[in-house]
Amino acid sequence: MTDMTIDRPDAGAPMTGALRRVLREYGHELLVALAILVLLAVVGTINPRFVSARNMTSVFSGNAYIAVAAIGMTMIIVIRQIDLSVGALIGVLATISGTIAVSGAPVWVAWAAPVICGAAISSVTGVLVAYAGIPSIVVSLGMMAILQGGLISVTGGAWISDLPPAFLLAKMKVLGLPMPLVWGVVLTSAAAVWMRMSAFGRSLYLIGGNAEAARAVGIPVRRRIVAVFAIHGAFAGLATLLFATQLQVIQSTTPANLELVIITAAVIGGVSILGGTGTVIGASLAAVLFAAIGSALIFVNVSAYWLRALIGVLILLTVLADVMRRRRETRAGGH
Amino acid sequence: MINRHSHEAVLAVLAALAIAVLALQSAEFLTPANLMNQGRLMTEVALVALVMTFVIASGGIDLSVGSIMGLSAVLLGTFWQKMGMPLPLAMVLVLFSGALCGLFNGFIIVRFGMPPLIATLGTLALYRGLAEGISQARSVRGWPEWFAQIGQGSFAGVPVQVWILLAAMAVAVVILGYSRWGRTVYAIGSSETAARFAGLPVDAAKYAVYTASGLAASLAAIIFVSRVSTTRSDMGTGLELDVITAVVLGGTSIFGGRGTIIGTVLGLVVIQALESGLSLAGIKGDGTIVLIGVVLILTLLASTFAESRARA
Amino acid sequence: MKTQFLRSLAGLAGSTAIALAGVTAPAFAQWTGGDDLPTNPLSCDASTPAPAPVAYNGGQPADATAKAGMNLRVVDVPKLVGIGYFNATSAGVAEAAGDMDDMSATTDGPAQANIDDQITLIDNYITSGVDGILFAANDPVAIAPLLRKALGAGIHVVGYDSDAEPDAREWFINPAEFNGVAKTLMDELAQQVGEDGSFAIVTSTFTTPNQARWIAEMEAYQSKCHPDMEWLESVEAQEDNILSFNQAMTLINKYGDDLDGIVGMTSVATPAAAEAVTQAELCGEVAVMGLATPNAIRPYIKSGCMEDAVLWSPVDMGYAALHVLRAAVGGTLKPGDTTVEAGRLGTLQIVNGSEVLLGDPVVFNAGNVENYDF
Repeated sequence: MTDMTIDRPDAGAPMTGALRRVLREYGHELLVALAILVLLAVVGTINPRFVSARNMTSVFSGNAYIAVAAIGMTMIIVIRQIDLSVGALIGVLATISGTIAVSGAPVWVAWAAPVICGAAISSVTGVLVAYAGIPSIVVSLGMMAILQGGLISVTGGAWISDLPPAFLLAKMKVLGLPMPLVWGVVLTSAAAVWMRMSAFGRSLYLIGGNAEAARAVGIPVRRRIVAVFAIHGAFAGLATLLFATQLQVIQSTTPANLELVIITAAVIGGVSILGGTGTVIGASLAAVLFAAIGSALIFVNVSAYWLRALIGVLILLTVLADVMRRRRETRAGGH
Repeated sequence: MINRHSHEAVLAVLAALAIAVLALQSAEFLTPANLMNQGRLMTEVALVALVMTFVIASGGIDLSVGSIMGLSAVLLGTFWQKMGMPLPLAMVLVLFSGALCGLFNGFIIVRFGMPPLIATLGTLALYRGLAEGISQARSVRGWPEWFAQIGQGSFAGVPVQVWILLAAMAVAVVILGYSRWGRTVYAIGSSETAARFAGLPVDAAKYAVYTASGLAASLAAIIFVSRVSTTRSDMGTGLELDVITAVVLGGTSIFGGRGTIIGTVLGLVVIQALESGLSLAGIKGDGTIVLIGVVLILTLLASTFAESRARA
Repeated sequence: MKTQFLRSLAGLAGSTAIALAGVTAPAFAQWTGGDDLPTNPLSCDASTPAPAPVAYNGGQPADATAKAGMNLRVVDVPKLVGIGYFNATSAGVAEAAGDMDDMSATTDGPAQANIDDQITLIDNYITSGVDGILFAANDPVAIAPLLRKALGAGIHVVGYDSDAEPDAREWFINPAEFNGVAKTLMDELAQQVGEDGSFAIVTSTFTTPNQARWIAEMEAYQSKCHPDMEWLESVEAQEDNILSFNQAMTLINKYGDDLDGIVGMTSVATPAAAEAVTQAELCGEVAVMGLATPNAIRPYIKSGCMEDAVLWSPVDMGYAALHVLRAAVGGTLKPGDTTVEAGRLGTLQIVNGSEVLLGDPVVFNAGNVENYDF
């Protein structure tokens, strides 16, 4: 188990201070990145086509929408909340966006709509959580039912086809790079910097770590919770833009279990469900890791039957590593 | 007393109201035949929800129940047909393996201190994956007549599985309401640290609730396989959300420390009554899903409001 | 404390090892996604043998003709709602209901292809006292006890698209025989990629009965009539657009020049595979074909990236289902009959005892794709 030796600061020779600091702060993210590299190396050796430029592009951009949605989910989990309705929300936003696109409205309206609607719908969840005091797991469970059932009631299950080519954002390229990849990298970096540098971003860790203390130092906790839900909704909208514009049709059902995939990405990326820690970089890397595993299984001829079991083991091992590292840190801190 | 059970009171009124309105909408709704049938349809969810009440009241959660149900169904077919075991032995082994899955959940939660939400999110994928891997997409069919009786037969005019459910309810009410184990579960949910200091068997109680949860899911699997007379690896998909909805609607606090079996039963009744009654009244399935979501949020709002009024 | 911890770790590692051992078991590598049932490949040329007559093997409702001449309320329960294919079948049901002044039909189905939800839904409709049920089964066995109960309650039951056990329904609208679909798909594919071409399959799940059956028949027909073609592998992609696209892309990347064609087994997978080939800029080098609705593949046929796709008309299938149900109620269709009148579709053949055959599969290509809208 590589993780055991990698992130144990006292295992090898003394390290320089800077390296140790990076390891302590981004140990988990490096772990996920390392897992991706090991996977690429191993499977690439077995079948060199796995690391061909085209397959790498697929791996890095294929799950970009999950990475983008996981950014918002990371913020939600950092403040110790959860959102089970995000999969249904993305389904609803895709239909909204597609309907506008085929109605003949300008393309930018079709692009802006899911982001705005996502923020609005998610704020409702936020208000119910922050001001009515209902646990987010319950509110989002209810929202999920409402969005899922509502979507089918309204659309009657019709697919949206004949999307205008100008709408298909995910098929566009920037400097030769596919748009989903660019979005994933840009949004992750922006969110990472913002979470770390801005007062707002840093306050989220305090809210998640100790809401009472946050209140005591004058952070408007309730308003922040609503704001974070709104931001999360906006990211769900951004994810929708990649999700809905990849193909030329939009299904009007919500992708099954998408919320679990997004939450899992955030958690494997190192976001502690206990709140207070975790970065968006880890979450995005975890989404890439999923894509790489899914692709690798086909390349090494592993039956798709076992894919899910493998992901389960992976979740357990990652969280286990995280729990053990925390224990060590608490023990080390106690000296 | 009223304050402590304000949520159950709200819910009881809601259940009575829903049943009355739905009975006016459709003459077939409040008939003995339909009530018995609804009992048959809700047994699997209800069995798991009873134990989930313990899990959530202890401040935990178990997302893996649907996957344990799928794995148990597949194992039942594998033990019986592929390995040639006698069916009763296969059933016992399936209950045992379901309990083992639950025990493993308890193990990683207690021993490693993994948050239950994440631990069972992991085993949700793991157990479903095992079910898919073991079944290789094959179904097992051709169950003997006596086995079909569990899910399709009746005893004294009441479906067999409803008797099982009633027995399980009685046991759950006694344990959660009147035993030391029940008090321990509430104590852990209120404050695990305080419970440890008070010398309560915290770890043992946690192991017990997760094991029981796995056991309930595998019992539900046996009943479901008997009812539909086939096994599939995707059985029980999404069960966890139906179960949690019922338990939470029943007033069990997701943070632990509070919740009753009566509340859960009321929650189950409301959901089942809505599903059946609305369908009989001519509302389509997707409309029903929306309404259940609205009812869940509004009930919780009403009960939170009532509680803060009572406290003020 | 420490030893306990290590022991715990060993337990976790042990279970991981078990899981991983399963993953690497080589026995599953040749898996194509077919089922174990016997196959019946058609002959390689165009001749179709006259089907051997089979005695009626469906079930009959209690008091089969009691509802003749009455106004009937029928519910149509597809496998799931929210996909184009079953939208089209329910449009066909609605069209047929519009033709008849004594029938009202509503469509209601589960939001996901889930056997439990579908069973609960049908059960509630039985209680509500509908006169007829049209269904497309998510599982042929799981749905059977319930349908037998409906027959016992005097409700007329007709299946379409995905069958149940024969004795659990009166009639089944078979869109096209499994071996016929397999022959059409493989012949079209062979013509596009050549007799020595290699291909891969993207399907929904290996547990979906129809898809598994088609794949099994395709294997049998291929080894009989196109023995030099190479079947590379089959992958699952649920009924999920994006997953289908990603899986198709991975197949393209994995096999490179060795891949000559991709066959999509669902109306979701085929257009997604065409999109993957388009984005990989391999149109003309990797052929895409399979089962698909015309609306979803029209852009790819227009762009020249796909030659054709195969399907029956789901609209006609829903239309035929309601007509057959009415014929059964009115007594004009009785066990043992060999044909049935179905409105604008004319006379349909009855095969395999109780299956109404919709006709030959339709091949959508540049010449006719504009004529369809579903």
